[in-house]
Amino acid sequence: MKHKTLLVFVSLLVLASMILAACQPAATGPVAKDYEELAFGEPLVVSAECANNKVKEIAALDEFTVQITMCKPDPAFLAKAAFVPFFVYPREWVEAYANEENQEKLLSQPVGTGPYYIESWNRGDSIVFKRFADYWGEPAKAETLVFRWATEGAQRLLELQSGTVDHIVKLSPDDYEAVKGDDTLQFLPVPNPNIMYLAMVNVVDPNGERTPSIFGDLTVRKAIALGIDRQRIVDNFYPAGSEAASHFTPCSIPNACQGEAWYDFDVEAANALLDEAGLTKGDDGIRFETAIYYRDVFRVYLPEPGLVAVEIQTQLRDNLGIEAEVIVMESGEFIDESTNGRLDGLYMLGWGADYLHVTNFLDFHFSRSNPQYGDPYPEIYEVLEEASTIADVATTAPLYEQANNAIKELIPMVPIAHGAPADAARGDVENAHTAVLGPPDLWNVVPGDRDTLVYLKAAEPISLYCADETDGESLDACKMVTEGLYKYAADGSALPTLATSCTANDDATVYTCTLREGVKFHDGSTLDANDFIRSWDASMNAASEYHIGNTGAFEYPSYLFDALMNLEE
Amino acid sequence: MPATSESSNNEQQRDYRSNSLIRLTLRNLLRQRSALIGGGILLALLLVAILAPVIAPFDPELVLIGLEDIKKRSDPCIHLLGCPEDQPQHILGTDGNVRDVFSRVIYGTRVSLFIGFTTVGFAIIVGTILGAVGGYVGGGVDNLIMRFMDVLLAFPSLLLAIAIVTVIGRGLQNALLAIAIVTIPVYARVVRASVLSVKEQEYVAASLALGGSHFHILFLRILPNAIPPLIVQGTLGIATAILDAAALSFLGLGAQPPTPEWGTMLGSERNQVFTAPHLVFFPGLAIMITVLAFNLLGDGLRDAIDPRLKQ
Repeated sequence: MKHKTLLVFVSLLVLASMILAACQPAATGPVAKDYEELAFGEPLVVSAECANNKVKEIAALDEFTVQITMCKPDPAFLAKAAFVPFFVYPREWVEAYANEENQEKLLSQPVGTGPYYIESWNRGDSIVFKRFADYWGEPAKAETLVFRWATEGAQRLLELQSGTVDHIVKLSPDDYEAVKGDDTLQFLPVPNPNIMYLAMVNVVDPNGERTPSIFGDLTVRKAIALGIDRQRIVDNFYPAGSEAASHFTPCSIPNACQGEAWYDFDVEAANALLDEAGLTKGDDGIRFETAIYYRDVFRVYLPEPGLVAVEIQTQLRDNLGIEAEVIVMESGEFIDESTNGRLDGLYMLGWGADYLHVTNFLDFHFSRSNPQYGDPYPEIYEVLEEASTIADVATTAPLYEQANNAIKELIPMVPIAHGAPADAARGDVENAHTAVLGPPDLWNVVPGDRDTLVYLKAAEPISLYCADETDGESLDACKMVTEGLYKYAADGSALPTLATSCTANDDATVYTCTLREGVKFHDGSTLDANDFIRSWDASMNAASEYHIGNTGAFEYPSYLFDALMNLEE
Repeated sequence: MPATSESSNNEQQRDYRSNSLIRLTLRNLLRQRSALIGGGILLALLLVAILAPVIAPFDPELVLIGLEDIKKRSDPCIHLLGCPEDQPQHILGTDGNVRDVFSRVIYGTRVSLFIGFTTVGFAIIVGTILGAVGGYVGGGVDNLIMRFMDVLLAFPSLLLAIAIVTVIGRGLQNALLAIAIVTIPVYARVVRASVLSVKEQEYVAASLALGGSHFHILFLRILPNAIPPLIVQGTLGIATAILDAAALSFLGLGAQPPTPEWGTMLGSERNQVFTAPHLVFFPGLAIMITVLAFNLLGDGLRDAIDPRLKQ
């Protein structure tokens, strides 16, 4: 009797489980989903009035055609569209997870069309990617890709030498020779254009309390520009191949070095300016006290931040009589405080190219909506806005000359150096390479006779919803999983990816793109035009109900397209 | 004149007792080999700290770029040991900012000893007052003070110091304050225990009967009995304080650049442990030797003052 009861109970349990499973949406891809796939239905359209924003309308014309209409010409549109924050997610995924209730899933479980999907993100340890069998292009070479991270350069090299990882990023400059001299390792120079700069705010917290800053005085800023020996910094703290910056943007980018080169080192002139500003030296030889803020994170533009901070501290004291306290900040806090112009002092920050256009450097850093130097400078951003609407490189040259000269004249920051970073890989890794922009195409890398490729980075990603991320580690991880209309080739040019082609009208205000058919997302759904529209609606449209991300700042969509759509003043 | 005579006798007796106690302690201490070694090292460290400007060949904050033909993180170069004469001599090499490591290690002695003596001095003063008042007054006051001390002791000292520095801000002064605060309970407990054991003694009751004030009794009759254990605890505490300060500086919370502090030197060059091991080895060695000296001396003092403990 007991056995019979047990049998009935187990049968009922199995039946109930089957009914429950039947109620769940079927998992047609490797990534489980708790939402239904939607048919294409009505084409979505998102539009905005033209204010400061550049994008006027994003519209699906049919199942595989999208059209982006600009308020003003944007010849760099395709280069921007190939950048990770503008990649495409399934419409259903965005609508299901882009809300406060499901924010954690939004930030940690991205679904894309890329060659890898995310199997697990083991916080504090690793991210495990698996080859996506239904990938529309050539499948990934390695079955498994693992992202790990180690903040210390010595640890990264040790792991590579001991064979626990296949490729490490951001080799310490002191390790270059050791890697070059080791037959079992590959030395991989990274050709990414970058800039390290020493920034100052003309007013602290420009969008908040607006505290006056000593660097609000142009004379003081100019003294700093003249009084720092940038060549000495490059010669002693940067790897071979690095150079002192003549302009903010590296000269390998067209129009980057129009206009006058940066000031030469001139201590006497710098001290004369400080005297003129009424900042005379006290009995201790000190004119005033300030601080140098930085984050102790290895970056391609700043391989040894602590040493450079102390060197600048030394130069300020010895050359100018400025006593600067060196303050290390937690990375996230530093980025938040510096990019909002809340650091009262000098801060060391930098930039690596996201796409090879001068707008990526100048428009991001000197736009009207960027408060990182205090109040933005109209003499700079007005010219940049005009230049960004013109496609022809030769036509924009005088405008970028004007912008670069204005930057030199107003000195929101001091451009210090263009770094020459390098990665390293194990000797048996085939096709180990680096890219001009972002991480290498790791799906094309063969990890010797192993089936797992281990990529060791310098830090853990902050989140994996890259529409609202500026963190390089996050963007690198997203690139393995998601794709956009275009992607960057090894030389940095934009190649069609989810789009088979994009055409622009004559004045570059309307871009019409045809999407690739038959592309599958990791959740099993199929790409259509509404997926693109909803993805861009969530990131570009401030009034969208799906405009939720990590911080909500959506800095790239905001800065690269002047401002978000439907942004309330 | 009998009163004067009695007073004079008392002073003589006190001098005799204290002299005999010091002599006894010294005699016992000299028999402790470890204490002798510790004391010797400490004496040497004190000399190094005092004579740092004479011993160190360079200003510890001087960046040698442009002054000498030398690269950052250069290896130690001693001409007597075969280093080429055309290379500038740096006994322990140069650091990442091209400063002479030997000079920084030498000046670091000053900083570390200053840290040790000031933090422990502050903690002893505050801890003694709190422990003495709590033990002598007793009741609610004692309960209040000692429960607060228990709360402080409930946290790991370094974590508590980090928390305090996080609140009051980084820097050497704040780190000193934080380390002193977290060590106060140790001294308060030592003093309270001594006060509790002594205050019921007959001579204390007699002194009270003779009209001695509480202040007089507490600080002149009772507290002198707490000095020996305080000295032992303080000597051992200096070692801990130096270690804690180095840890805070290593984490970037204590001494700030360009101060030549051993923990800061370790922290800033931690990444070079394989490429330039001398940059972390020598500051680490300096910390070890200093801590060892105080620990040896502390152990020896404990044995000398209270031989029963050794048995």
